[in-house]
Amino acid sequence: MATLELKGIQKSFGDVNVIRDMSLDVNDGELIVFVGPSGCGKSTMLRMIAGLETVSQGRISIGGRRVDHLPPADRGIAMVFQSYALYPHKDVRGNLGFALKHAGVAQAEIDQRVNAASEILGLSEMMERKPRELSGGQRQRVAIGRAIVREPDVFLFDEPLSNLDAALRVHMRVEILKLHQRLGNTMVYVTHDQVEAMTLADRIVVFRDGLVEQVGTPLELYRNPVNTFVAGFIGSPAMNFLQADAKGSRIHLSQSEICTSHIGDGRVKLGLRPEHLMLEENGAIEGTVSVFEHLGGESFVHLTLPDQQTLVAKLDGELSFKPGDTCRLGIRPDHCHVFDMNNIRIAS
Amino acid sequence: MIMRERITSAGIHAILIAYSLLALFPLILIVINSFKTRKGIFNEPTALPLGKTFSSDGYASVLTNSDFPLYFGNSMVVTCVSLMLILLFGAMAAHALSEYEFPGDSFIGVYLILGIMVPIRLGTVALLELIVDLGLANTLTALILVYTAQGLPIAIFIFTEFLRSVSREIKDSARIDGLSEYRIFFEVVVPLVRPVIATVAVFSMIPIWNDLWFPLILSPGEETRTVTLGVQQFIGQYTVNWGAVLAALSVAILPVLVMYVIFSKQLIRGITAGAVKG
Repeated sequence: MATLELKGIQKSFGDVNVIRDMSLDVNDGELIVFVGPSGCGKSTMLRMIAGLETVSQGRISIGGRRVDHLPPADRGIAMVFQSYALYPHKDVRGNLGFALKHAGVAQAEIDQRVNAASEILGLSEMMERKPRELSGGQRQRVAIGRAIVREPDVFLFDEPLSNLDAALRVHMRVEILKLHQRLGNTMVYVTHDQVEAMTLADRIVVFRDGLVEQVGTPLELYRNPVNTFVAGFIGSPAMNFLQADAKGSRIHLSQSEICTSHIGDGRVKLGLRPEHLMLEENGAIEGTVSVFEHLGGESFVHLTLPDQQTLVAKLDGELSFKPGDTCRLGIRPDHCHVFDMNNIRIAS
Repeated sequence: MIMRERITSAGIHAILIAYSLLALFPLILIVINSFKTRKGIFNEPTALPLGKTFSSDGYASVLTNSDFPLYFGNSMVVTCVSLMLILLFGAMAAHALSEYEFPGDSFIGVYLILGIMVPIRLGTVALLELIVDLGLANTLTALILVYTAQGLPIAIFIFTEFLRSVSREIKDSARIDGLSEYRIFFEVVVPLVRPVIATVAVFSMIPIWNDLWFPLILSPGEETRTVTLGVQQFIGQYTVNWGAVLAALSVAILPVLVMYVIFSKQLIRGITAGAVKG
């Protein structure tokens, strides 16, 4: 087990800066999730930690030991890939033991470590099978097993669940969480799925265009996003952003006062999470229903406001609206997020 | 509907059978005539060797009265060694081109593959001078070098295309497992592209085995003759021992056939299935 330290990391391919000055301290035993849209540099960052890409500038340390000049095998890391990347010509046992065999570990110890890992992951029944004879979930478990066997300081996961179907993804997510609780290793997990990020992470790092937008626990990011990008990325359905007017530290949407804020007069962006909007007879937000989606216990209402701005509300209970109906919604003032026109959060 | 399908299927089979017969006809002709007397060959070239026309004199003269076993050995050595070198260097060059980025990589790729378009026989005179200068005239080494050079471009071309399809994550995974770049090539990449290796082997082997040009020019000496050149001794200026020529050719087919069977076993597709999500 070990800490992971990134200091002033930069990476460029030719003229393109993929990572622009990233620094991060990952605590011992922490599960940290890199999240962001595709092409934001999160996978590149992971590959640099793994040693599969060189670092253009900066320092990577694992357990206090500088590793950015070392080959991947000497860094004390293990990586699980999106495509599993199993050796197709070796059976499960061969796949699990391959790295150890190469490192010259004694056969008895290889057997012991392979058996231990297969027990943890429930692979004991299929040790003699080839990867092509396994299902997607089983293959992913073998890939994780291959990482466990190496007893690394830091586990790296590169979108490990993206190839699985939805039900299996939820199942494997729980497995990974259990595994983390059981092994207690430091883990870095890359995903573009904010649900995975929210459920797995001790802390989330939100990437955009090679820059870190925000680092924090899932709830910190949910409650206090630093800008509209983070606010829109975390939470599902995504946060609504509405143009509103600020006058005398009061925020108005279509003449109705929604909340207060320390800001001078002018235009602001108001962020309202769909799940925070409630049906209210005297609510401040009035709109016309354009689409109504049932989900059973809850429903999504898509509204068009008088000034043609649109908004989604997630409402509890079995409701029924028809397109064209008028709907009034309210929100608690402390649930309002206010951003300036440069998309930066304004402290309320 | 079913009737139509049957007719289509019968039509396809008729075409395939006709093509097979066409392709096999010269081969069958060589084999059956190799068992006939000279008279039998010329009187009834397509008849089976039965009764009076049957004779195994051709095989007898090939196997006893000549250095045929020596020629056979020479052909085997030249073909096998050239093939090994082509596969080894071809696959390694292709791996380098498909896996690594380095200055001038695309130029080198084009340079290596350009050889496909330049017939190596155009350079025969220069090659002969070079081989003589190197003191390699009348050696099997000369042939091996020339055939390796001749086979590499197409091998690199085919390998490059296929090696590009090997998942990058598998190679990265091997790097994390601590394998050197050479071991990644031999232990991870090569097992994945076995079918391609077999294909390239078959492609490269046949022109080498059948070649008459370079053995005739570079190593016509008694000790270094290959089968195709050796057969020429039965073709005199005034008489041709057809029985022996055909017997020699029949025997010469065998090793190619055996090697083809060996390689075609490797042509099992789908070995990569399950390695990565397809």
